[in-house]
This record gives sequence, C-alpha cells and structure tokens, in this order.
Amino acid sequence: MADGLLHAAFRTSAEARVALNRLGQDGVAPNDVEVRSSVPLEHDVIPVGSKLRSKIPWTSLAGATLGGTAFFMMVKLTSEAYPLPTGGQPIVGLPPTGVITFEGVAIGAVLTTVATVLLECGLPGLKKAGPLDHHIALDHVLVSVKCDEGASTAWAAQAVETARS
Amino acid sequence: MSGPAASVHEEALLKPLSSFRPKLFVGSLLTGLLVVLLFYAWGYQIANDIGVAGITRPVFWGFYIVNFVFWIGISHAGTLISAILRVTQAEWRRPVTRCAEAITTFALMIGGLFPLIHLGRPWIFWYMVPIPTERGIWPNFRSPLMWDVLAITTYLIGSVMYLLLPMIPDFAIIRDRMMRENPKSLKSLFFRVAALGWRGTPQQWFSLEAGIKTMAVVIIPVAVSVHTIVSWDFAMAIQPMWHSTIFGPYFVVGAIYSGVAVLMLAMYLLRKGLGIQEYLSDKVFNNLGLMFLAFAMLWSYFTFAEHLTVWYGNEHAERMVFDERISGRFSGFFWTMIVVNTIIPFLILPFKWGRKPLGTAIVGFGVLIGMWIERYLIVVGTLSFPRLTYTEGFYSPTWVEVGILVGSVGLFGFLYFTFIQLAPIVSLWEVREGEHIKNRKEPAHQAALHPASEEA
Repeated sequence: MADGLLHAAFRTSAEARVALNRLGQDGVAPNDVEVRSSVPLEHDVIPVGSKLRSKIPWTSLAGATLGGTAFFMMVKLTSEAYPLPTGGQPIVGLPPTGVITFEGVAIGAVLTTVATVLLECGLPGLKKAGPLDHHIALDHVLVSVKCDEGASTAWAAQAVETARS
Repeated sequence: MSGPAASVHEEALLKPLSSFRPKLFVGSLLTGLLVVLLFYAWGYQIANDIGVAGITRPVFWGFYIVNFVFWIGISHAGTLISAILRVTQAEWRRPVTRCAEAITTFALMIGGLFPLIHLGRPWIFWYMVPIPTERGIWPNFRSPLMWDVLAITTYLIGSVMYLLLPMIPDFAIIRDRMMRENPKSLKSLFFRVAALGWRGTPQQWFSLEAGIKTMAVVIIPVAVSVHTIVSWDFAMAIQPMWHSTIFGPYFVVGAIYSGVAVLMLAMYLLRKGLGIQEYLSDKVFNNLGLMFLAFAMLWSYFTFAEHLTVWYGNEHAERMVFDERISGRFSGFFWTMIVVNTIIPFLILPFKWGRKPLGTAIVGFGVLIGMWIERYLIVVGTLSFPRLTYTEGFYSPTWVEVGILVGSVGLFGFLYFTFIQLAPIVSLWEVREGEHIKNRKEPAHQAALHPASEEA
C-alpha cells in the first residue's frame, strides 16, 4: 500500500477474473488496474474495459519495405558509383539484386518487430518491484489497483470474499 | 480455470542458475581447454601466415570451408525447427525450442568465424562490409560469397533476437524469485538487468506474442535462404559435381538433417546431465525422432538423385570426381557417410524402441560425423579433380586445421555450458502456458460429458 496500490495475488486465473469483474462493476477505471502473470493470459484475464493493441504486423511490414528499399538502393548506387564496362549488361544483374533485396526485407522486418515489441512493452522499464512480485514467479496472478489509503482494508476484504465465493 | 503450473520440476531447470554444479564445471573446463587450442592454432596461423594450413593448389578450400558449411548447417537445428513448430502450433515443442534456438545462435557464431580464419588475414574482413571509404571500396554484390555475408548476418541477428525475446519473461520469473531469496547477489543483479523491467501485463504479453509469431514467419524463409546461398557458393561455379540445380534444396535438407542430429544429441545430454526427463520426455524424443527419420529419407533421396544423374550423364570431369568417391581415394569417406547417414538411421529410427533418447542420440552422433564427411567430399573431393587435369592435387590437413576443428567443437560446448548457467534451458513460461492450456481443456471436456455439472 506504500506505493498507492493495493496488491492481491490469486492462485488461479478464474479467481483473478472474478475480482476484475467486480472491480469493473464497482466502476474502477481500467487504467487504475494492473494485471500481471508469468504466462500469457491476455485473452482470459484483463481489466474490464481495457483493450489490447499492437501495431506489429504493420510496423514489421513497414520495416520490411524500408529494409528492402535500402538494400536495393545499396546495390543500385554501387553500380552507379562504379560504372564498369559490361557491354550493356547490368553491373549487378536482377537475380543477385533480388537475393540482396530479400535479405534487406528480412532484416528490416526483424529489427522493426523487435523495436516495436520493446516500445509497446515499455522495455527497458524502470518500475520498482512490488511487495507481492514473488507470487508471479509462483505462477499466481497479481492484480494491483490504485486506491485511496482508507479504502484498502474494505476493498481487500471484498476482493478476498469475492474470490472465495 | 487454470491454476498455478509452476511445478517442482522447475527446480531442476533453475538449479544450474543458482548453485554450483560439478558436472557443468567439468564440462566448461574441458571445453574451455579446447577453446584455448582453437585460439592457439589460429594465433599460430596468423603469426606464421596461411601457409601453415594444408590448403594448396588446386584445393584452396579445405577444412575451414568444410567446417563453415558444417556449422552453418547445424545452425538450422534451432530457429528454423522452432519457428516451424511454433507456426504449426505443435504443443510438444515447448520444452524443445530454447535448447534448439541456443544451438542455432552458437553454431552461427562459430560458422561465421571460419571465413575469417580462412582469410588468413582476418583484419581485412571489413572489405566485405558495404561502407564507402576514401578508397571507394564496395563489396562485389555479384559474388555468392557476398550474398553469404548478408544472409548469415541476417540469420544471426534474427536468431539472436528470436532467442532473446522469449527469454525476457523467464528472466523476470527468476528475478522475482531471487529478489525474495537472495536479492543482493550478483546473479540477482544480472537477472534484474536481463529482465529489462518486464512486468507480465496483458499488453506486454500481447505484444510479445505478436512479435514472436511475426518473427517465426520471417525467420523460416531466411533460414532456407541461408543454406541455399551457401549451396550457391558451390553451384554457381562450373566445377564437376557442384554445378547442380538441386544443390539448394539438397543443402537445406542436409542442414536440417545435421541440425536435428545435434539437437537430439544435445537433448540427450541435457536430459542425462540435468535430470530434466519431465520436460525432455520420451514423447518429445519420439516426435523429433520421426522428424529425424523423415529428413534421413529426404537426404538419402537427394544423395541418390544427385549421384544417379552424374553417373548417367557420364560427363568426363564429373565421372572422375564420382568414381573417386565411389571406388577411389574418397570411397572410405563416401561409404562411411552412407552407413551413418542412411543405413543406421533406417535400421533404428523406424521403430519406436529406436526413437528413445539413447537410440536417437546414437543416430544423431553418427549423422553429425556423416554430414561433416558429406561437406568434406563436396569441397575437397571436387577441388582435388578440377576440369583441367594437369592441376590435380592432393590435400591433407595440418595440425593447425585439425586443432581449429576440434577447438570449434569445444567452443560450441563451452558456449552451451555457459548458457545453461545463465538461462533456463527450457522456456519456463512456455511450458507453464502449455499446462494452463491443458488444464483449461480438461474441465471443458468434463463439462461436455456432464452438462448438468455446469449449472450446479
């Protein structure tokens, strides 16, 4: 509670879901609730009203286009920088250009995918560890709620009761 | 409903990270000595020039290029197999992916060393990097060797990322455990840094899973392109038994075959050494054994097709290389390769008893040797008999080349032993997720059998 958050650890995702539903019914804003787990439960246990978004397929595609264009240009500019006499034939033919462009597409897609994951996940993050973080390591689901100092005891009792029922 | 899937078996995975393990120490020490041999031999070559290696006219590609192709082939064990299993949502992949991806990363690093060693003067490697300089040096993009540089760099970057991204949540699990047990230790600090502040929120999981899926899709064609391009290093030259249209798929199949072989061997050793049979179970060995058998069949088919067309075509220069393989100077290598790559796998892997850990490890060890021989036959076998017969020559490796080969095996082992002590060799969160999925399915199945129980 020292961090202005009330933490509760739940053994199962079903228990956590019940508590989250209850929080939603009580009108707690989704931004005030944080759910954490050691496994992906994002389709199962999320704060009521919150939406998950990722730009990954699109940023990867943009990165692929950028990478492909950059590598294609590298080959083309090399040919222009050194116009060797090749009897009208291209200095670098279409097949090698295709191979190099393909690698550019791949490296562009990989790097932008990783960058997008890190950005969307807010990594590297500097948040301090919470008092119940070790429960996540034990595969419990941790729910943290922003709340007033005085409301904690009543809310905690309610959450525990709800989870038990 | 899904309850905690963290099991007591996880302790076996986490022990090497937190406590001293004599087996790992001895392994690291022995392989470390081989690493010393590698760098001593390489240093000796740098100091005394490339003449200390056995490569000479006309065999200008010897052990170093054989090793290069061999290690790049092995790198197909991990990322490619892991990506295919992820894309096809094979549930049994979960305990396998991490140890396979680590093989890829380390094998690629070692494979990438060999062109540097082969250069003789490794400090001029930057000539291949596409940077304009005051001397106007640009790489020759028409050369398949240059395509190799780009393809391997792309695959290495992709594989490292593909290995590291799914490790972040595992580092966070270990961080959270250590923060309670031993918060001030050096290892605790390492895991705090390595976890990058991962919290495990739904948004983080959503983005991470989207990223891993996208990378799996991207990495499959990259992996295929890498060994295809390696094959083109040979196939683009008009050398006997190199200039073949099936060299691309032949190399890719051979690469995956040798990759699965090293994976089977590594899994067997991990299972024995760490006692993680709950993860690397007989079922996993059986499934990978079936995949191993499929690649044994494919490789054998390609080898037969490749040799049949050369024999039938009866072109003089090609027949010369072919005859030396079948009944000449290289026949010992060739028939050993056939025994370990085709006959032994076909005698063991079709049977369920053969797809147990020991059986697959024995076959894997044999295939590793066989696939190295295959590359030796391709590189040295052909170069010993070029089209102009007056340039025929013989190649025999020196202690420097043998030392570097043995040392590279040591380097691989050393990197792997170090990795086991820094990260769980089985992905904790992926295995837990599998348990959650299983637990979720089971009650649903029961509810379907007893619909009344849902109302109750």
